[in-house]
Amino acid sequence: MADTHSLFFGDQDGLKTPWQILGFALLVLLLMGASALIENNVNPYVQRIIVNCGIGIILGLSLNLVNGCAGQFSLGHAGFMAVGAYVSAYLTTVLMPFGAFFQSDLGVGTAVVAGGLAAGLSGYVVGLPSLRLRGDYLAIVTLGFGEIIRIVFLNISAVGGPRGLPGIPLASNFFWVYLWAIVTFAIIYRLIHSSAGRAILSIREDEISSQSMGVDVSHYKVVAFVISAFFAGVAGGLFAHYQGFIDPNTFNFNRSVEVVIMVVIGGMGSLSGAVIGAVLVTMLPELLRFFAEYRMVIFSGLLVLVMLLRPMGIFGRHEIWEASWFANLKRKPKP
Amino acid sequence: MSASSAKEVLKLNDVSVSFGGLKAVSQFGISLHESELCGLIGPNGAGKTTVFNLITGVYLPDSGTMDLDGQNLCGLPPHEITKAGIARTFQNIRLYKELTVLENVLVSYHMRKPYGYVDALLRTRQYYAKEHELKEHALRLLSVVGLKNNPDDFAGSLSYGDQRRLEIARALATSPKVLLLDEPGAGLNSGEKVELMKVVSKIRDQFKVTILVIEHDMKFVMGICERILVLDHGELIAEGTPKQIQSNPKVIEAYLGVADA
Ligand SMILES: Nc1ncnc2c1ncn2[C@@H]1O[C@H](COP(=O)(O)OP(=O)(O)OP(=O)(O)O)[C@@H](O)[C@H]1O
Ligand SMILES: [Mg+2]
Repeated sequence: MADTHSLFFGDQDGLKTPWQILGFALLVLLLMGASALIENNVNPYVQRIIVNCGIGIILGLSLNLVNGCAGQFSLGHAGFMAVGAYVSAYLTTVLMPFGAFFQSDLGVGTAVVAGGLAAGLSGYVVGLPSLRLRGDYLAIVTLGFGEIIRIVFLNISAVGGPRGLPGIPLASNFFWVYLWAIVTFAIIYRLIHSSAGRAILSIREDEISSQSMGVDVSHYKVVAFVISAFFAGVAGGLFAHYQGFIDPNTFNFNRSVEVVIMVVIGGMGSLSGAVIGAVLVTMLPELLRFFAEYRMVIFSGLLVLVMLLRPMGIFGRHEIWEASWFANLKRKPKP
Repeated sequence: MSASSAKEVLKLNDVSVSFGGLKAVSQFGISLHESELCGLIGPNGAGKTTVFNLITGVYLPDSGTMDLDGQNLCGLPPHEITKAGIARTFQNIRLYKELTVLENVLVSYHMRKPYGYVDALLRTRQYYAKEHELKEHALRLLSVVGLKNNPDDFAGSLSYGDQRRLEIARALATSPKVLLLDEPGAGLNSGEKVELMKVVSKIRDQFKVTILVIEHDMKFVMGICERILVLDHGELIAEGTPKQIQSNPKVIEAYLGVADA
């Protein structure tokens, strides 16, 4: 009865809570196994790419909530990532008020969540202008916010200023990154497939109708921004504790654009699209290293090609399991 | 007040709004009664849609009062007005094109907060129960407007007539006291219009909702409305039963123009 699809997404009648918990525990075990397997058998360079994919997935999924689902074009995702990275790294590296606590897995986990919460708060601040602005104007304002956040960190000497912050405990790994990626996916998926999620989608579709059907448009724009920023902050925290070093330049405008590309390539509003977009955008430049200096030219060319062939992104607004070729695998055609 | 002794639901008094120099609506007043089916007619640009936009909070009136069941509506944002009990359709169809037919209707239930975030994220019993209940209800509304066959199609892929029906179902899902229909018959062929007239009457009877409908097709308006309001250049020039309106010289003048110099 508990096939994987219903374990993850629930089914018509719903999975009882114990089954959900069991499913989650199973997933954690599976992830631990995979983690051990990868850490012992895969070379460090490839491991690094795999983990970066996971961080990219969290970033792509979270930006997708604002850009793809709520239809608000945000260009400042790196800023939220920076807040999460700096706040969590400050807790574990500079502050260390509880000594050993912030060195433990639990402590780092707490710091990462704290970074996410701080980023969520900054998402609230950025979300406010989105109530008045749309389209290009909103993109410019969020871009500005992202840069302001970066420049603020550039000028705080307590976190190293332009020199960056070294010596961050290396507590993040495949397991934690992918656990968070799965949690992000599950939370955003379930949110979107709920009453509040439909309200968010309706804003993208038609703001005027949406408010005329009783949706508090301003409220849900901010909700989308805050949740999105929270997960970007978590991604930042995981990133900081994987690299062991962060500097303001890591979170520049290019990083924001990279995340936007993930979402656009995968298909705005498609969660599985964001995942695949994140993997492509993270892996392709590595796979293309063979072409040396032409690498980024070819990468850009490929992106242009995808946009020409699939202007709505690879999956458009749909999920991979809704794509016709995939659905055909599951469903037998009606007689 | 007219012969009808039914309770007054929506009341507008001396409502005016202007855009720049243009007085789009001036000193407009109406009083709609419980489960009344009332028509709003007038030549193009008369200000009919603007009246709807004023009632639903899209525009703020320059002056005047509006209240629903004694609750003041002036200054409330559109979503609060919908919550208070007024729903509308749009002259230029505004569906959520890339959501399914069913989802278009489901959005309208959100303002009553059927369940919380925790229920949604943990998929509690409450979540499944409520989702199930809302879907059943939405499907019932869809069948009332004659759209029960394709709930999973994208709204944007529906025929023009079906899109108009879906707009009505979506508005009904907010459980309004007053339903405002802005040219629901525009672009439909005569067969579809007859169907639509039946649907509108049925909705009024079944849901006991007050309906104010803007429509250019006189057969439609005269056929189903008990009372008709006529707007011209932003002013209410006549009000009465279909018979009275048909023979009102002011109305004929507004529609056909006068033959003076
Ligand atoms: N937002 C606005 N800004 C400026 N002028 C407006 C605005 N909305 C409406 N108008 C003007 O107000 C007048 C009334 O428009 P309205 O749309 O209410 O007419 P209508 O009676 O619905 O006409 P139709 O039958 O063509 O739909 C028109 O002259 C229109 O140009
Ligand atoms: Mg109009």
